[in-house]
Amino acid sequence: MTQLNKKQLNRALVFGAFTLPALLAILISVEIPFLMSVFSSFTKWNGLDRVQTFIGLENYKELFFDDPDMWKAMLFTLTLTLASVVTTNVCALLLAVLLDSDLAGKNVLRAAFYVPNIISLIIIGYIWRFIFSAGFESFYQSTGVEFFMFSWLGDTHLVFFSVLLVSVWHSLGFYLVVYIAGLQTVPRDLIEASMIDGANRFTQFFRITLPLIMPSITVCVFHSLSNGLKAFDVILSLTNGGPGTVTTTIALDIYRTAFVINRFGYGTAKSVILFLLILVISSVQVRAFKQREVEV
Amino acid sequence: MKKTMLVLMLLLVAFSPAFAAGQQEQKTGDVTLNVLFYSPELAEQYNDMVAAYKAETGVTLDITVLQTDYRSVLTSRLNSGDIPDIFMSSAYADNSTYKDYVYDLTDEDFIKKIEPSALQGVTVNNRILGYPFLVQSHSFIYNKKVFRDNGITALPRTLGEFEAVAKKLQANGVQPFATGFKEFWVLPQTAWQAIAEVPDAKYGGFENFVSMLNTGKLKFKDIPEMSQLFDLLDLIGKYGGPKPNESDFNDQTSSLATGKVAMIHQGNWAEDSIKKTNPAVELGFLVGPTGDNAATGGIMFDSNQTIRIAKDGKNLQAALDFLRWLTTSEYGRNWIPGKVKQLSPLIGAAAPDSQIAQETTSLLASGTPGYPWFYQMFPTGTEQQLGAILQGYCAGQTNRSQTLDALDATYAKIAKAAL
Repeated sequence: MTQLNKKQLNRALVFGAFTLPALLAILISVEIPFLMSVFSSFTKWNGLDRVQTFIGLENYKELFFDDPDMWKAMLFTLTLTLASVVTTNVCALLLAVLLDSDLAGKNVLRAAFYVPNIISLIIIGYIWRFIFSAGFESFYQSTGVEFFMFSWLGDTHLVFFSVLLVSVWHSLGFYLVVYIAGLQTVPRDLIEASMIDGANRFTQFFRITLPLIMPSITVCVFHSLSNGLKAFDVILSLTNGGPGTVTTTIALDIYRTAFVINRFGYGTAKSVILFLLILVISSVQVRAFKQREVEV
Repeated sequence: MKKTMLVLMLLLVAFSPAFAAGQQEQKTGDVTLNVLFYSPELAEQYNDMVAAYKAETGVTLDITVLQTDYRSVLTSRLNSGDIPDIFMSSAYADNSTYKDYVYDLTDEDFIKKIEPSALQGVTVNNRILGYPFLVQSHSFIYNKKVFRDNGITALPRTLGEFEAVAKKLQANGVQPFATGFKEFWVLPQTAWQAIAEVPDAKYGGFENFVSMLNTGKLKFKDIPEMSQLFDLLDLIGKYGGPKPNESDFNDQTSSLATGKVAMIHQGNWAEDSIKKTNPAVELGFLVGPTGDNAATGGIMFDSNQTIRIAKDGKNLQAALDFLRWLTTSEYGRNWIPGKVKQLSPLIGAAAPDSQIAQETTSLLASGTPGYPWFYQMFPTGTEQQLGAILQGYCAGQTNRSQTLDALDATYAKIAKAAL
């Protein structure tokens, strides 16, 4: 027994030694800076002065009790995330099913849907900004359709849908590829067996395909969720948080607190809260989705 | 395979520290100044100046020009110890933002060659902490041809007169304004000008006005003249075309150049962009309305863009020599009026070949008030944050009293953190 224990311990030590370099690298480049920024969140610091004043929990107190703007940004972020997770994944899955079938020119289509994903979001924001203003105006002049004359980026209600459209348009391709890969792992024989048993296409999809591609869904939802909560670049270039503050996301709010108002301490306090939020939401989501995955 | 290996090895050598060190040794003979500037629209002029300086003195200016993320890049470079020898910032509130890093220029000989009025924004307790780079003005720019074609001969000075002009233009099928409301910096510039006469008239000057705001003794909601500001924004929004909240700087300059709109609220820096669209455009500068009092309507005239010298830089002396050259050499004196084509803060400088700069000079000469950019005295960060609140007002997100409350709350918070 002790012999075995010793052997196990030895093995553990050897494996531990192998991971040591990676562990050190991660410690130095990720964990220590992270802890330093947690420390900054307890200070009053403008990012430039040579001293950081320790003020305890003041930043967190202000954050929770005296910052309605941040909570508005938080609400907007959550709404946008929910909407984009649902829209992106439903659209991507539908398109994946379509492009996984024997469609003429499906390779070209797959590539076409993927292209926006390669372009930087900042560029995409500027392109769409142009489309929404100048592009839509010429559409209106040539077609006369009232739809194009709506102020898609200037109206406080419409702007939500513009942002949603652009972020879905950008990320669709990536999730599409993941779903197609997932669909190709579904064994043909199961589908054939269900056909013999008399299942129609809907039953097939919901009873066989969907449960079997659950791992892809877990990955995609996780990815789109954390991306949604961190949404920044598309907002910065498309609306810059406006009009007013209607499209300010929590990440943009943090950026402005730290780099525009020069409140680094307070900004890091906000980002610690964002970190905790993403941590909680993502782990709940992954746990919930993992339980629904099935093995063949 | 062998070839690939060779290329890889070469790359490795090229990026290795040994090689880099060798390069540095080569350079020790001549000085290289590290410069961080903004206003990329001036990139050509910067490069021209860098080449001239290199030719005259042999000193290299390693210049980086940024715009939107300028502040964040500067902050992180100062933080990480990679301090540029020469950098730019705004005047007023930025004096205290960068106080730990900037060199005190008070006793330098070349400072005496600058107009005292231009030094106002960089002076703290009689110490001069920056070098005013150029003098700028902002107000309403109009397309003279559009005004002529629509029979507008009397130039507007009050809110009522502006409205009458806008109505007439609209009736003739010309869009009166391009708003620029999408830019966070255009909105506050437009808005604060509408109350520019108030601090002097009622609160004992701009400095006192701002310090009353900073200490919370004065609230925006207690200033009755704030209605002038809202009236002006309403007017521009109402006559600003079908999508007033989507107009940005490019829209403003190109629409004015082509004559699609008659007026924009912008500064003399916009002239270059306007002329790129239409080189033959005739531009005029209007007095901005402060309510309905024609006598107090004025233009915003100040030296805001400031060059700062890092006090801990390795090349402090060389950086000072550069400023001296910019102030005294023939090329340096002619650079702002001749190449940048804006107003120079130097005493006795030549007049630039720019329509708006010339109109600025003649407006000021005829007794029109030139107000300082007092909103730059507000604590750092207020420009963007208050701009966003005003943008919300223009988009109908908040009404007047909600907007005033939001302005007060945000201002108080930033002031508390900054002071």
